[in-house]
Amino acid sequence: MALKLNAINFQSPKCPSFALPPVASVRSPKFFVASTLRSGSKEVETVKRPFNPPREVHVQVTHSMPPQKIEIFKALEDWADNNILVHLKPVEKCWQPQDFLPDPSSDGFDDQVKELRERAKEIPDDYFVVLVGDMITEEALPTYQTMLNTLDGVRDETGASPTSWAIWTRAWTAEENRHGDLLNKYLYLSGRVDMRPNGKTFRYLIGSGMDPRTENSPYLGFIYTSFQERATFISHGNTARLAREHGDLKLAQICGTIAADEKRHETAYTKIVEKLFEIDPNDTVLAFADMMRKKISMPAHLMYDGRDDNLFDHFSSVAQRLGVYTAKDYADILEHLVARWKVANLTGLSADGQKAQDYVCGLPPRIRRLEERAQGRAKQAPKIPFSWVHDREVQL
Amino acid sequence: MASLTASSLSFSSVSCSFKPNQVSNLRKASLSFSGKGFPSHRMPALRFRVACAAKPETVNKVVEIVKKQLALPEDRDVNGESKFATLGADSLDTVEIVMGLEEEFGISVEEESAQSITTVQEAADMIEKLLEKK
Repeated sequence: MALKLNAINFQSPKCPSFALPPVASVRSPKFFVASTLRSGSKEVETVKRPFNPPREVHVQVTHSMPPQKIEIFKALEDWADNNILVHLKPVEKCWQPQDFLPDPSSDGFDDQVKELRERAKEIPDDYFVVLVGDMITEEALPTYQTMLNTLDGVRDETGASPTSWAIWTRAWTAEENRHGDLLNKYLYLSGRVDMRPNGKTFRYLIGSGMDPRTENSPYLGFIYTSFQERATFISHGNTARLAREHGDLKLAQICGTIAADEKRHETAYTKIVEKLFEIDPNDTVLAFADMMRKKISMPAHLMYDGRDDNLFDHFSSVAQRLGVYTAKDYADILEHLVARWKVANLTGLSADGQKAQDYVCGLPPRIRRLEERAQGRAKQAPKIPFSWVHDREVQL
Repeated sequence: MASLTASSLSFSSVSCSFKPNQVSNLRKASLSFSGKGFPSHRMPALRFRVACAAKPETVNKVVEIVKKQLALPEDRDVNGESKFATLGADSLDTVEIVMGLEEEFGISVEEESAQSITTVQEAADMIEKLLEKK
């Protein structure tokens, strides 16, 4: 899942501040990045602790789904077994990171590594900044498995629970784990990035966690993951394309393979929400509007490398500029999901449900308009050093 | 109620939002009265709300745009002191309101300024400042 990208939340003084994820980019409307600071809910001051970087998160709302709804998910276990678990790949048939990396057991290992490093030399720093951000996001998998297990009705109660939901979560985690693993090893071997700050960023990120505001509700949670999987699919697809343009076909293959996984996961999660729309359209549409109002925050929005207080903003900025994941993508994903879940066709909604329906259906063009405005007044952004690439400067 | 004399204007009750550093904007409160005297039995009951910082027309225009953006009913009371957030505007609405104001007044609002607007009055003040600069 690991979705990187400025899901809007920008701390940029130059961007409209209704941002989703933070990004100090003049190009990416702050709007699109789920802002940890400006979404209207109350923020709490966090005390600086050595393992917890200075990031504010929202007041933590919990268990907003009424407990009787838990029954819905128990009742859906057979359905999940037949319809969701089918999207997992058996371990024996799965690709492994080793398939895409130099083989240490072979005599040709040294040459393979040399070749990898030659190819990597041709790729510019800004690309690597984005790839590192992606890698760190993927590596933060423990946070995501945790997040899934916060959801009422579908959590893995014991760590080895036999429910379909729990099986999904564990198997999904196993598949996702390969992504961070592969990217990490590639980046390590490439010689183009500084592994120490990468490591620090990862540690800080795990320490901070993630605040998607899903409130223990699987309605909110699965809408969030649907969005995120699609976003990662898009962004890894773009890094694959860029790698190809830079002449590194192996890296393109790596990113493309990861993207394919994300697509498969997206299919599964959107199916779950589709089912929820079928059996409980009113609450599902309310949940959808709620998540969009809160804005989909990026999983790594709390990232910190010990130095840059706006690291996520800066990273997202570069990702936006390179076209890896943009505010336009955010609008596109939303529009795709609205169509996929046939939100416009929902009937029998309450007054609030209709308002939510209108809000969600009307949101993509509003976001696009904002993005146009931001692009229209985009100023030249500064170049700033990134610890991830040995403090070399990268254009935001 | 305003009582007019030929040479002076005095107001018995005026509500004026006064910020210490905006005293100089008093000149912007444009009130015009015809030079003719009023027949005393036809004194118009004038209820003033002097927006010391920006012209009433500006404030009214802002109110109109805000009401439209937030789909508020015509009879909803929205005035200078109204806070966007209280009217139900989220951050997206606020930016769109600013965009609407830009189009209406032919101005361009810097992001930093846009972020600092929280009330109708602040929006109107900012607009007038930008118009002055043009």
